[in-house]
Amino acid sequence: MAELWDGLREAIRLVIEGDATIREVALRTILVSGSATVLSLLVGVPLGYVLARGQFPGRNLALSMVNTGMGMPPVVVGLVVWLMLVRSGPFGGLELIYTRRAMVIAQFIIALPLVAGFTAASIQALPRELPDLLATLGAGRVRTLWLLVREAHLGLLAAVMAGFGAVVSEVGASMAVGGNIKGETRVLTTAIVTETSRGETASAIALGLILLAMAFSVNLALTVVQQRRRT
Amino acid sequence: MEVAIEGMRFVRAGRDVLAIPGLRFAGGRTTALLGPNGAGKTTLLRLIAALDRPETGKIRIGGAPVRHNGTTRERVAYSFQKAVFIGGTVRTNLDLGLRLRGLDARTRSARIEEAAGACGIAHLLERDAHRVSGGEAQRANLARALCLRAPVTLLDEPLSGLDGPARRQLLGDLPGLLRDFATTTIVVTHDRGEALRLADDLVVLIDGRVHAAGTKRDVVLRPPDVLSAEFLGYTIIPGEKEVVAIAPGALRPVPGEVCFTLNVHEVVDLGTHREAAGAIGPVRVSVPIEGSAPDAGAGLTVSAAAASVIRFPKGDDAANV
Repeated sequence: MAELWDGLREAIRLVIEGDATIREVALRTILVSGSATVLSLLVGVPLGYVLARGQFPGRNLALSMVNTGMGMPPVVVGLVVWLMLVRSGPFGGLELIYTRRAMVIAQFIIALPLVAGFTAASIQALPRELPDLLATLGAGRVRTLWLLVREAHLGLLAAVMAGFGAVVSEVGASMAVGGNIKGETRVLTTAIVTETSRGETASAIALGLILLAMAFSVNLALTVVQQRRRT
Repeated sequence: MEVAIEGMRFVRAGRDVLAIPGLRFAGGRTTALLGPNGAGKTTLLRLIAALDRPETGKIRIGGAPVRHNGTTRERVAYSFQKAVFIGGTVRTNLDLGLRLRGLDARTRSARIEEAAGACGIAHLLERDAHRVSGGEAQRANLARALCLRAPVTLLDEPLSGLDGPARRQLLGDLPGLLRDFATTTIVVTHDRGEALRLADDLVVLIDGRVHAAGTKRDVVLRPPDVLSAEFLGYTIIPGEKEVVAIAPGALRPVPGEVCFTLNVHEVVDLGTHREAAGAIGPVRVSVPIEGSAPDAGAGLTVSAAAASVIRFPKGDDAANV
């Protein structure tokens, strides 16, 4: 118990004093997870729209795959991406393994089904007649998509929160494809694992607090936007 | 602007939902598209609005083929059966279509005020569109279509979901609104009274086929087949060689030119008047009565003027007239 309190005290000191290494790891985490979330939005929102409104063979199968993907273990994603990017793998020539870009790819794959699934659900919750109404009022396809996305903003903000929350907190995929290289691919979650295994409890707790604060801040900001728009 | 349909077929799930060899909605007039539920009325409106594509055939608006892009949609205003709104005020909703059509702010504002005033929703413009009552929503829905002042206005059951007084009031207002804001109008309804009140012309659509089309007077006085006569409220009495159709309200409980015997089942008191309810052969019929009421089981002689009676050869259910 004493170790925990000592750890907490040390963690608070590290956070307040702004340890350079911790700051660097935190910034890298934001960069990697933020990029993966943005990419998953760019692909996942249109994909979710097509799944919600499209009529094509295999739509139910595609929706089931997306729904399954929403609960996919990150470490499995990490393993698959590792197999693809490792030197002997089909994309080994791209030399992406153990880079931040590989981590972004893996996190993008983790976040994509969440964003697409939440988008599909929120678009399907809109009145069925809305796309036709917008079309008759003169909106083209892109405008209709934009207006529907705006109408479904509550669900879409939930998609952002779910996507970012999933990737910022995962450790398995980042460890597998990033390699947890200090100064290069070490992010908050992998750093926590490293510090814990080295017995550096204070550093691990400090990193954990920062991770929690980061996730909370992003979700707080999005929740404020979400609830303001609702009223 | 005339709407013309040529050789059109629309199939859904392997079933012919619509099959119309030829049909014209005259420019500058209001046509009621009348038919029972599931007849294909809304499907036809959607095809005209370029929301769906026919299997075969052509639809032309003002001579130009319907295209699935902005050019057709700019010539059509569509009021859907269900009043659906985007988030925001009633004004935001009325403004959207005008904005998408590239009108400047001053014109948009003038159009909104004008249509909202005429539809009786000027006081609702700054209200959240999702928080207005059913009747107000239906008027806002109508105003959104009318403020576009499109060459062709399509109204799908504009009185649906309204209760008695609100329905009567909007039905009373609609002819004037269409005169002021619309040119060529097609109104979908399953209600004969609504159709007769609103339309210059009638098209009777049953099971995806046009059974009658023409001016209101022609169609009502001379329905071309049994099915359209029945849908227009005629009493249909099948005989051995022919089917007799009697115009709505034409049967009287007195001897006359064309007589029948009504087998009275009961006398129903409707408050303002009484009706003898019974059957002529297998057909259930009610006739208003005055004076002494016939006994149940008695035969009552009823008749109609010859001009109110149409005789169809048996088996006549011709469609796509």
